[in-house]
Amino acid sequence: MPTYKLIYFNARGYGELARLLFAVAGVPYEDIRVERASWPNEYKAICPFGQMPLLEVDGKILAQSSAIARYLAMEFGMAGKDNWEQARIDMVVDSFGDILQDMRVPYLETDPEKKEALVKQFVGESLPKRLGYLENILKENGGGQGFIVGDSLTWADLGVANSVDYLKLMCPNPFENFPLLAGLVQRVREIPQVAAWIAKRPETAT
Amino acid sequence: MPNYQLVYFNGRGRAELCRLIFHTAGVPFEDIRLDHTKGEWPGEWKAKCPFGQLPILVVDGKVLAQSRAAARYLAREFNLAGKTSWDQARADMFIDEFDDIGTEVVKFAFEKDEAKKAELSAKFYADTLPRHLGYLENLLKENNGGDGYFVGDSLTWAGLGIANVYDLLGGTDAPFAKFPLLLALAKRVRENPKVAEYLKTRAQTSF
Repeated sequence: MPTYKLIYFNARGYGELARLLFAVAGVPYEDIRVERASWPNEYKAICPFGQMPLLEVDGKILAQSSAIARYLAMEFGMAGKDNWEQARIDMVVDSFGDILQDMRVPYLETDPEKKEALVKQFVGESLPKRLGYLENILKENGGGQGFIVGDSLTWADLGVANSVDYLKLMCPNPFENFPLLAGLVQRVREIPQVAAWIAKRPETAT
Repeated sequence: MPNYQLVYFNGRGRAELCRLIFHTAGVPFEDIRLDHTKGEWPGEWKAKCPFGQLPILVVDGKVLAQSRAAARYLAREFNLAGKTSWDQARADMFIDEFDDIGTEVVKFAFEKDEAKKAELSAKFYADTLPRHLGYLENLLKENNGGDGYFVGDSLTWAGLGIANVYDLLGGTDAPFAKFPLLLALAKRVRENPKVAEYLKTRAQTSF
């Protein structure tokens, strides 16, 4: 078994999908957490693009959170059964990247009036629009009571479940009007290894 | 051979990486370019788009959205994704970095306020871009001295990606002036026979 290290802030953020993959696969790794106040530190020099997360596998380095998660998913057999499924998973995961892009501006806005308007637009318009598409994709996969791609758990499902934690920064119940997505999140969070990880992981704001 | 359709606007934008992959692999595809001024977009296509957006890739009638997912699918199909799972992950890493650069360009490219646009563009070229290109130059150098490829010892979609960034930045050597290895790679890729042939006949577009 390779030696794995994941290096990120003491936060869920862009590192959590990798952590969920390790948890579900039951694969040990060193979960290195850097406090924001101590960044940049000695790890910055080895970050390919100067940023975390970083995955170290037997000393070899990988950056970019999606590349990291995809690599682990492939290693752990949670990436889809053929190239087409892998691509459909990538599609779902990338769409959350788009949601995060939309979220960035309202999240970072400091002027209270501007922020209120931007959050309202995100929560009322752009988020439901994107979630609506995802709800359809889930529904088209055999009715939507299983997984979002194929017929077994993949990192796309973990990505959906993980998104609730950051979307809650914008609104209390992000999947309120999307019952199939909400059902998937519930199913994922009830997977024993996921439930155990969520119970034991450090509590962080983001 | 599957039937491939790539659907986008008449521009390089988020579809060009897929086009480069098809041409490099020598695989025929229907290069559909929609003209929104003629009502071709949204037209009949929007309803077929999983997220209501272009580009989409249609393979024997099955639809894939998200430009990187589509490009990766094609790269894997045509053995341009990297030879090992590690190489593939490293290639993915480079592709994500190019996408980050693209996102930065979009920030000023669509800015309507001319003064703000000039300010953002200046900051990008003085600051943001050199930082990104510097990292890429180092990473290239780490791969056997840097006169080959980003990943392994043969062309992957990561190499096509930097050639695409070259075009995104205006198609001149200037932005790469301080990054000789990167410039050499972009040119090497553009001189690959299949790529060169495509570049000769490719439609000139504003984006």
